[in-house]
Amino acid sequence: MDWAQIWEIAVTPDNVPITALLFLAPFYTWYGLRQAFANDRLIAQLEASPEMAKTHHRKVQAWKPGWAREVHTWPYLLRIEFLALLIVTAILMVWSITLDAPLEEPANPNLTMNPAKAPWYFLGLQEMLVYFDPWMAGVVLPTLIIVGLMAIPYIDANPLGAGYYTYRQRKWAIWTFLVGFLGLWVSMVIIGTFIRGPGWMWFWPGVTWDHDRLVFEANRDLPDLVGITSMAGKSIFGGFVSLLYVAGAGWAFHKLITRPGFNRKIYERMNILQYVTMQLLLILMLSLPMKMLAKLVFRIKYVWITPWFNI
Amino acid sequence: MPESSVQNQVSAGADGKGTGAPEAPQPQKAKPWQRVAGLFSKDGTPADMVATRRRFVGASVVGFLIVNLLMFLRFFFPRALFEPKTSFRIGYPADFGFGVDTKFQQQFRVWVVRNPEGLFVIYARCTHLGCTPDWKPSENKFKCPCHGSGYDSEGINFEGPAPRPMDRANVELDPEGQIVVDTAKLYQWPKGAPTQFNDDGAILRV
Amino acid sequence: MPEDNGNAQEKKGLSGLLDRPEIQALKEKVKGDVQAFKKPTKTDLFKSMFRVKHDETPRSRALGVLSNVFLHLHPAKVNRDAVAYNYTWGMGGITFYLFVVLTFTGALLMFYYHPSKIVAFRDILYLEHDVPFGKLLRNMHRWAAHLMIITVWLHMFRVYLTGSYKKPREFNWLVGVILLVLTLLLSFTGYLLPDDQLGFWAVTVGTSMARATPLLGHEGPFGPELGMTQFNDVRFALLGGSIVDSNALLRSYIWHCIAIPIIVSTFLVVHFWRVRKDGGISGPSPVVLEGEIKPERKI
Repeated sequence: MDWAQIWEIAVTPDNVPITALLFLAPFYTWYGLRQAFANDRLIAQLEASPEMAKTHHRKVQAWKPGWAREVHTWPYLLRIEFLALLIVTAILMVWSITLDAPLEEPANPNLTMNPAKAPWYFLGLQEMLVYFDPWMAGVVLPTLIIVGLMAIPYIDANPLGAGYYTYRQRKWAIWTFLVGFLGLWVSMVIIGTFIRGPGWMWFWPGVTWDHDRLVFEANRDLPDLVGITSMAGKSIFGGFVSLLYVAGAGWAFHKLITRPGFNRKIYERMNILQYVTMQLLLILMLSLPMKMLAKLVFRIKYVWITPWFNI
Repeated sequence: MPESSVQNQVSAGADGKGTGAPEAPQPQKAKPWQRVAGLFSKDGTPADMVATRRRFVGASVVGFLIVNLLMFLRFFFPRALFEPKTSFRIGYPADFGFGVDTKFQQQFRVWVVRNPEGLFVIYARCTHLGCTPDWKPSENKFKCPCHGSGYDSEGINFEGPAPRPMDRANVELDPEGQIVVDTAKLYQWPKGAPTQFNDDGAILRV
Repeated sequence: MPEDNGNAQEKKGLSGLLDRPEIQALKEKVKGDVQAFKKPTKTDLFKSMFRVKHDETPRSRALGVLSNVFLHLHPAKVNRDAVAYNYTWGMGGITFYLFVVLTFTGALLMFYYHPSKIVAFRDILYLEHDVPFGKLLRNMHRWAAHLMIITVWLHMFRVYLTGSYKKPREFNWLVGVILLVLTLLLSFTGYLLPDDQLGFWAVTVGTSMARATPLLGHEGPFGPELGMTQFNDVRFALLGGSIVDSNALLRSYIWHCIAIPIIVSTFLVVHFWRVRKDGGISGPSPVVLEGEIKPERKI
């Protein structure tokens, strides 16, 4: 176990934000969910007792009748904002004094460093390039991620949980977001930072980054595996497989959202457009881990080959 | 005790004197981090410590800002500059005849002048506002195009707004016998003051 | 008083002068003026700058916020439970503060940087070694940028977890996503400016994805069919050329220092405006029970 290698990666100045993210992401997830569970306990109490539901002020924070519901911005909000400002400034100053911003050799178009990595917030995209062609991983998927994020408020038909943390009233929303954000995005960044070494080869944590390591991993395409040789055949087969995947994934998501665990009422409130959009986004989101599985475990590069594009 | 408006009277402590935090009772302080946080919260600190803490924080913030201001000011004065050299060679005294030589005006902004007394170098900057005058051989004078200052063939001002003659650069002979000019070291003749033109570096008596 | 006058006229020198009634009156006046300065908040100078009294009455507290051009971003009063940071985590405000820090440090960095391939790298070295506090400033700028991306993600995460994108705040979420993309672009364009291997190859990798854009890239699906070559596709438009060279550097500089900050500021204005207009910080708001959901209104 090469701890020095792990340490070297973790404290490279430009990787320090990821190292920080390794702690911040779980911490804030816990911090938010903790409040969600506290709210959920209150909701359970209120649902059990209609009288309590009538008289309670409906928050976990303390309040008694007669207490003001609002406080003056000055001094209460402004002083805590000032405190945050002080803390952030202190962190920034200490960070800037102790760690130097990187500056490598002058730009040389004839010599690429190995590995040549994008800044950490784009490492997710760079990792996706392993599984999809550039037009898909670099253009289509990022665009769909952004469009998908923008669409969230409009496809969310659940009126509950607006303005307070809750888990049990928004299980579907929370799960899909956590899978997409932590499970896919953050873990892709972590893979790109800690696991991808020279040549973009896969190095498990603790394995020394060896520039000369030889890898004999020939890629294969799915149509070839099945024995189809003609271009037309490949295109049709690939299209068929993709359709199968879409149908299968769509059916799986449908089954999931209509489970009793997730609120069926929310599903019933969705109109057709919301439902279809949600399905499309989820299916596309799932295609990434599916492709990762195909590539990393089965060494399959392309599933659908056509004269114009390959997926 | 400043007045509170009627509707705020029930929330005594939440408004009014500003010594109370919003009236939410703290949860039971079981966890260690909460005890530490208590050090920093209003309710956890004894009243006499509040003013001290306030002064400390205030002084730290002001001190930080003053230090930043000083750093900000110092930031504008780099320690090293990359400007053209002010010291250069212009050849041998024998290369120059009597009168004004404009050979090095474009390259180094100087005129080389020779008279029976010796050889000196005029720095081609008008002493009015810094333009470069023109040498007019037909009129035997330097004339500044900006505001009309006029200097004689040795750089002494006689017409126009120039307050004093044009400055002269330091001249020396190097071991080889070449003339070394240094425009960073200038000799002046301010009005009403004694002239520096006869100082050792101001003229080469060759 | 006749005796005083007589005495004053008799005494010679300075003490006689000091006893004259006019001088006494002057002394009283000076004493009165000095007293006034001990209460600076009562001077005309102070009152001309701060038009509102700064005492502790509710009226003054409210006016102090509402009549201040910087502070009136906030309402006069806020939800009592939103003040504790466990609800909002403060991430939105911290992100904005980091943006201000980046603008300030960035402007200072511009004093020593030329966006030219010939000197850009050398300028960074100069800044780090020959400019007092240059290294500190560059570090601050870089780390504040990374920190801002983290806080922007955390802000988005928090807004999601608290459902603060639901009616009526849907549009503000959309503006927020745009701001997220712009933040990433700001970071990306700044990455190239030191013109070192790190920045150069990061941008090469990034922009080479542009050549794969469907329809608009010369190596993307259907691109070549539409006449895209490396000299006229979308990547060319981004770089100002077919290679990552001096045009790319200058464009990166302008996007990073002028164009994107202006766009970000515009969207920030909309973002803050919508926060206020949509009802301020969304919570913590009272929990709603499942049985209390109103049935949908069909259009």
